[in-house]
Amino acid sequence: MADLAIHTEQLTKMYGKRRGLAGLDLSVDTGEVYGFLGPNGAGKTTTIRILLDLIRPTSGRVELLGGDPRRDGVALRRRIGYLPGDFIVDGKQTVTELLTYLGNLRGGIPRERVTTLAGRLDLDLSAKIRSLSKGNRQKVGVVQAFMHQPELLILDEPTSGLDPLLQQTFLDMVREARTAGQTVFMSSHVMSEVQQTADRVGIVREGVLVAVERVEDLRERGVRRVEIHFEDPVTVEEFAGLPGVSDVTLTADVLRCRLDGRADPLVKAAAKHTVIGLLSEEPDLEELFVTYYRGAPDDAA
Amino acid sequence: MMLRNPFTKALWDARRAILGWGMGIGYVAVMYTAFYPSISKPAFASALQNYPEGLKKAFNIQDMTSPAGYLGSYVFGLLVPVLLAVFMIIFGSRAIAGDEEAGTLDLVLAHPVSRPRLLLSRLAGLATAVLFACAVVYLLLLAIAGPTKTSAVGAGHLAAMTVQLALFGMLFGALTLGVGAATGRRSAAVGAGVVVVVFGYFGNNLAPQVHGLGWVQRLSPFYWYLAGKPLVNGLDLAGCAVLLAVAVVLAAAGLVRFRRRDLAV
Ligand SMILES: Nc1ncnc2c1ncn2[C@@H]1O[C@H](COP(=O)(O)OP(=O)(O)O)[C@@H](O)[C@H]1O
Ligand SMILES: [Mg+2]
Repeated sequence: MADLAIHTEQLTKMYGKRRGLAGLDLSVDTGEVYGFLGPNGAGKTTTIRILLDLIRPTSGRVELLGGDPRRDGVALRRRIGYLPGDFIVDGKQTVTELLTYLGNLRGGIPRERVTTLAGRLDLDLSAKIRSLSKGNRQKVGVVQAFMHQPELLILDEPTSGLDPLLQQTFLDMVREARTAGQTVFMSSHVMSEVQQTADRVGIVREGVLVAVERVEDLRERGVRRVEIHFEDPVTVEEFAGLPGVSDVTLTADVLRCRLDGRADPLVKAAAKHTVIGLLSEEPDLEELFVTYYRGAPDDAA
Repeated sequence: MMLRNPFTKALWDARRAILGWGMGIGYVAVMYTAFYPSISKPAFASALQNYPEGLKKAFNIQDMTSPAGYLGSYVFGLLVPVLLAVFMIIFGSRAIAGDEEAGTLDLVLAHPVSRPRLLLSRLAGLATAVLFACAVVYLLLLAIAGPTKTSAVGAGHLAAMTVQLALFGMLFGALTLGVGAATGRRSAAVGAGVVVVVFGYFGNNLAPQVHGLGWVQRLSPFYWYLAGKPLVNGLDLAGCAVLLAVAVVLAAAGLVRFRRRDLAV
């Protein structure tokens, strides 16, 4: 199990009578980016806070970087970077003061490392935390999680509050972390946030992991909108019956349709004509994901 | 650098409160001591002599004519220890429960900081604050001993009194830190502190006058702080030992629970 960064078995957590987790089996490989996906209240934050030993499980096993969060907490947390879902810090200090203190708790961080990260995220280090907007505060959270280049990054809904441009910067940072061999475990309640970077997604619902998928596989199965520009007019019939193709519309020589699954039949059919342009959107994995959210048919009762 | 570790950080964050309370308590001690020359006049003393014994006991005013008696009842008997206790109740309840309720404790404990280390750092912060306030009181009273005609007490006995005061304050720091660490609730910590101050004060001063309730006095921190009359007899080792032992037990009990429980979000 040495190549697993995170491993849980039948992890349960009760908050009094309320269900937090109901037997979660989770395996995150060392070096992968794992998207931990689920609707609000599914148990994502509960799982993460157990990993950091902030709360204790009711039953079940947890292994983190080959250790036990309870017994080896301090040593393990040295190797982890954590971004909480709600990044709350005392507002009276400046960003630099906070980052210096947090860095010192980890034995000190090279100053350039902090300034580089802050520069990338366009974060003002001299500002008082109190004066920062929610998005800027979230940037401080991102910097403190990444600044010591930890083996394992545990990020609870990291992109919430970041504007789209910064979300891209953040995703770049996640990719670089993976390239550097770091493991990234990030939670989200929207697929679009994790589908661009994650190797795998685990879907949690009502305290249980209901599915684990490779994002590549999901992409193959995902639905995308496709637009093909032909030199000469084509007919709807040629395309309407193809496997995976639906909603075919034709305006002059532009064909628009939905493609579910592999692109091969559609491409082969189009190849019989002269193709001027071809446009294919990123598949919308949200749809696939929502079916998991709602639960399998056996839950209907 | 004050951002080195949880201990120095706690001091740095509370620097204004520590200075303010230390100076404030020192100021009150000086003001009350400054009244001694006028109260020690024979006319005043004989007027007090006629007060009912019970009333005098209730307000801790007995031996008014000697500087040690006056300082023991007026300066160290009520306002200074109560102010120090209030300071410790505010500071001690904030130390863990306050941070937890504000939501800032999570991040620190997600770092390589164990819960015992955090609690001990915060306890050390409280101890430093108490020592600062007591040092201010001691140095100021020593400085004005001549002009206020209180030098007969002597530096040694004044130091003994201040040591007992520091342990008395520390008891409230440990109590509120411990209750806060165990429950995560600031209101519970403050409540415990206030109950002990109020019942402690009346338990020490009123209980002995009620037949059969004399033993209640021994439950009061005021008793162990004052009963040995350190201004007259020097350090009361038994009193110090009780105050210190209770503080240690309270902090340790808080830690035991703090290590086991869930942190609130
Ligand atoms: N401190 C708590 N006390 C009681 N119930 C809680 C507490 N924290 C979480 N829960 C419950 O546990 C479940 C999982 O919550 P959480 O882990 O925060 O979900 P997520 O992060 O996926 O939105 C929810 O039903 C929530 O109401
Ligand atoms: Mg959450």
